[in-house]
Amino acid sequence: MATLEQAAPPVKAAKAKDGRVTMFTMLRRDRFATVAAVFLALVVVTAIFGPVVMGERATEQNLMFMNKAPFDPANGWLYILGSDSLGRSVLARMVVATQTTLLVAVPAVLVALIVGSLWGVWAGYHRGRREAVSMRIADIIMSFPSLLLAVVVLFVFTPSAANIVLILAITRIPIYLRTARAESAELQSRTFVDAARTFGAKPNAIIGRHVIPVVTPTLLTLATLEFCFVMLAESSLSFLGIGIQPPDVSWGLMVAQGRQYLQTAWWLSILPGLAIVLTAVAANILAAWMRIATDPAQRWRLELDRKSTRAFEKATRQAAKMKAKKGNDS
Amino acid sequence: MHNRITRSRRIPLALAASALLGTTALSGCSVANSQEAASGGSSAPSDTLRVVLQQEPPTLEACESNLTSTGVVIRSTITEPLIERNPTSGELEPKLATEWSSKDDKTWTLKLREGVKFHDGSEFTAADAVATIDRAVNSKLGCNVEGYVFGDDDLKLKEVDDFTVEVTAAKKDPILPLRLSFLEVVPAETSATEKVREPIGTGPYKLDDWQAGQSINASAFADYWGEAPQFQKANYQWRSEGSVRAAMITSGEADIATGLSPEDNIGDLGVSYPNNETVALRMHADKAPFDDIRIRRAVNYAIDKESIVASLYGGRDKAAAQLVPSGVVGHSDSLPVWPYDPQKAKDLVAEAKAAGTDVSAPINLVVRTAQFPKIQELAQVIQEQLTQAGLTVNLKMLETSQHLTYQVRPFPTKEDGAIMLMTQHGNQAGDAAFTVDQYMTTKGAQSAFGTPELDQLIATADASTGDDRQAAFEKVFKYQNDEVVQFAHIAHQTGMLGISKSVAYQPNSSSGDELRLAEVTAAK
Amino acid sequence: MLSYLRKRIIASALPLVVVVIGVFALARMTGNPAALYLPLNATETMREEFAARNGLDQPILVQMAQYFGGILRLDFGTSLRTGQDAAEMALRAFPATLQLAATTMVIAILLAVVVGSAAAMKPNGILDRCSSFISMTAASIPDFWLAIVGIWVFAITLGWVPTSGVVGAAAWFLPVATLVMRPFGTLVQVIRGAMVSALSEPYIKLARSKGATEYRVIGQHALRNAAAPGLTVAGDLTVGLVNGAVVVETIFGWPGIGKLMIDSILQRDFAVLQACVLLTAVAIFVLNILIDLGYALLDPRVRPSAGARKRRKARAAQGPTQGSDQHTPQLAAASMAAQSPRGN
Repeated sequence: MATLEQAAPPVKAAKAKDGRVTMFTMLRRDRFATVAAVFLALVVVTAIFGPVVMGERATEQNLMFMNKAPFDPANGWLYILGSDSLGRSVLARMVVATQTTLLVAVPAVLVALIVGSLWGVWAGYHRGRREAVSMRIADIIMSFPSLLLAVVVLFVFTPSAANIVLILAITRIPIYLRTARAESAELQSRTFVDAARTFGAKPNAIIGRHVIPVVTPTLLTLATLEFCFVMLAESSLSFLGIGIQPPDVSWGLMVAQGRQYLQTAWWLSILPGLAIVLTAVAANILAAWMRIATDPAQRWRLELDRKSTRAFEKATRQAAKMKAKKGNDS
Repeated sequence: MHNRITRSRRIPLALAASALLGTTALSGCSVANSQEAASGGSSAPSDTLRVVLQQEPPTLEACESNLTSTGVVIRSTITEPLIERNPTSGELEPKLATEWSSKDDKTWTLKLREGVKFHDGSEFTAADAVATIDRAVNSKLGCNVEGYVFGDDDLKLKEVDDFTVEVTAAKKDPILPLRLSFLEVVPAETSATEKVREPIGTGPYKLDDWQAGQSINASAFADYWGEAPQFQKANYQWRSEGSVRAAMITSGEADIATGLSPEDNIGDLGVSYPNNETVALRMHADKAPFDDIRIRRAVNYAIDKESIVASLYGGRDKAAAQLVPSGVVGHSDSLPVWPYDPQKAKDLVAEAKAAGTDVSAPINLVVRTAQFPKIQELAQVIQEQLTQAGLTVNLKMLETSQHLTYQVRPFPTKEDGAIMLMTQHGNQAGDAAFTVDQYMTTKGAQSAFGTPELDQLIATADASTGDDRQAAFEKVFKYQNDEVVQFAHIAHQTGMLGISKSVAYQPNSSSGDELRLAEVTAAK
Repeated sequence: MLSYLRKRIIASALPLVVVVIGVFALARMTGNPAALYLPLNATETMREEFAARNGLDQPILVQMAQYFGGILRLDFGTSLRTGQDAAEMALRAFPATLQLAATTMVIAILLAVVVGSAAAMKPNGILDRCSSFISMTAASIPDFWLAIVGIWVFAITLGWVPTSGVVGAAAWFLPVATLVMRPFGTLVQVIRGAMVSALSEPYIKLARSKGATEYRVIGQHALRNAAAPGLTVAGDLTVGLVNGAVVVETIFGWPGIGKLMIDSILQRDFAVLQACVLLTAVAIFVLNILIDLGYALLDPRVRPSAGARKRRKARAAQGPTQGSDQHTPQLAAASMAAQSPRGN
């Protein structure tokens, strides 16, 4: 009869000097997360160095070379991803666009995440009037057509990356606010929070030390999903002419501009869209990995090596089956 | 104990879920407020002509017929004017008026056609003609056609007898019949204090119903005075997305689709036609660098119109030398297109700089997003070509309402740098007066500036008739190009209809404004 | 429960007014719409007449007072563009949007719960990896791609469904399929994540060792605890759909309220915009009330009953209580028997 004790003793990963497994090692354990992290690092590097390297080439128009299909080596390496409706290299434009895209999407998500989460956690902890008022404000923001806000702000002030970030951040705050509040409200009645309160801990300390760590994983998952939504929202704004203005370029703008060519020059819209999708998926995978890595009850999946993990899981399953059979028999 | 509580909590949850599913199912898989139209889908009976438009008409009120989305449905299909302009020949032809004449170009006498019935059965008489003109031009309704065609002046109307009408203009107006061709006739009982969404007219089709948001249905009018149309029924739908309109033609769900372009994948089923629209850049000369005529000439030299027309528009459009296309009175075939000479452009800029003009002052190229296909590409090409000539161009892509603040007077004054507006002008009327009065006079609504000499030439042309009129307007356009240089013309545009294999229709220059269903026949 | 409902409904009135005032003011900050509705060569007189006819020449506070006065008479103004009653236009467009939103969310939620729970049972397993990847991709794809590719594949090439329009049951397929992707993808991720956390709680181990079947463990124990974030996100997604799925409405010609709102913003059709926003705001407030009720149904600890606060204060005064405690496993086993969050 296999029991937990009789399973091969799990081989723990090599420990750092202080005896704890490093995040880096845990990252390596999860192959998908590793690939995702490498991809994101590549994106960040492109964002930083892209405009310097490819800046010139992204604006070269060539009316004789319009809408050339991608993956045709005869056109040279610069046109490996095809050319757009003005003969510019899609590859160069995508590289240069990375910086603008990240400069809009990342701050928008971060601002909404931080403001929304802190506010929501605070509201959910205190309940009562503070919660009610916060929720009503969230309702107001949610009912407001974000496009109207965008048109007005960008009409009164000129379209700039900062204004777009502001609008995208404000309109997305309610989702973090409501999620954080819901989880915080649920936790707040749990015993460990009660206990901490009884011991005299201040509300902010309780929020910081007990509530936030529990609430963070869901919010991070949400943030990475929002990351993609923000990039696509920026695409819609750009399509209407109130987002990124040419000659600036972002992936969202390229997707929007390529929309009319979807049936005749699909690469103009699909390739930058793929960039958005892949970046968002990579961020999601990394967030999922981080959720496991930071959850004390789940870390073991990443701390053990693969062979031991499988053996451990197998043993647990067999033990549970044994117990269940025993339970049915008796 | 726990079990009971759990169960009682489960019931409301289950009830809520089933209620939600139930309402969705009970709605019977049909969309709220929709109706199973007999003519929807590809199994339509072949006596229904199915047209798909770009947008739902905001109204079908006859006095708003110069609005494209309204006129395309009602003009000469549901309602009819007294006089009709033939789009191919440019001649005025009788419709509900059989003849018209004037001794002094101020008072016109029109003889009306007899035996014409309205869709509600009543007879068409002079009273109806008078009421139509009165309500469109003189009343406080604020009809669109009033502003577009007639201006502030009122018309004096007199019913001479049952089939004769006298119309007197405020001042001499040789093209009054042309103006009257914009007025679609409605019965005298039509309200003069409120606009009417669904008109009664005399046209070959009568309006059956309008499913707001979805479709408009019409059927052939049995007592129509003219030749009966081939299709017994007509159905209009609308889809904003061009590729979806094209898809409806390809899949056989529609017979005619408006506003297409080759990128919509319409293939052989797309028929292009010159559509009266001209694209040009209007330069405001109140600020540097456009206060120097050399820079304005340089702009004209710097733009490679032929290459733009060939590469962006597949050779369908035509490089332009003036604001009106051929077929419009005043268009000159011999006026040369401004040649493309990038070196000359650079030289002119250098010359201006040497003379003290601030050539590095920014030029704001103001463009309306989605105004016509490939406008963003066109704007970027122009920006690039002007930059190569040595000018500084900032691109401002604006949505319609903001763009309009630059398009009509009063123009914004606080811009940093000069304004260059990309404008698309359509002359539906067929006479250059409608263009020139707005765009080239000193105080014209869409004119950035003018000169007294040009104003004089325009006033002369406005008052001329016949061949003199043609020559006078040709002189106006030539003068503009040589001495005033407010515009850099780019191209005369074309539109594209999608026409399915089962119908036959030959589009003409007015098909975008006026789709005459009676001219559509079944393909052999 | 009823008193809670009453309080919430009253509490929603003020935010509703704030939204309407906000939209009113913001809309009028975008300038005079006369240029959009008059021909380009309209004279100054005509522009003034237009403004007078539509009450736009008054100071903004007067306009607002007139508007609210009109609301009390149930007159929400007329459309500048079509001349129809603004409320009529909004009310006509809204049911179509609601139907689309309801169908989409029901399908998305059902699928997401099934897939998310299955994935959470074995984190990092094959099913988890596959479903994660598929759901992340589904949540990230631009909707117009799906729509246009869908039309090309299913309507033109295969001919199974019509390209667009609202006639017939088959016309629902493409719009719903396009809309369902993002909610499905998002909810799978959220539910899976919350379930993974819930499944590592001590009471789950207890339930399993008591012999509960896996379905019971998931369906009754874990899912209820993972419901809060799932419900919130589902609510937010529904709000997005209630505001109108603009892209789907544009491409498929669905006569919904999203496109109506966007068009009225771009064309400065103030009355219609205000009517639409009012309508969707009411729907959103109702939705949020329902979601809060949903929390309360699913999780008794969140119930806002009057006695609860007093009881909690009293308990706190007594000292540390028994109950589940995340950081002391020894207590957990003992306390489980005494106070499991869900019956079995």
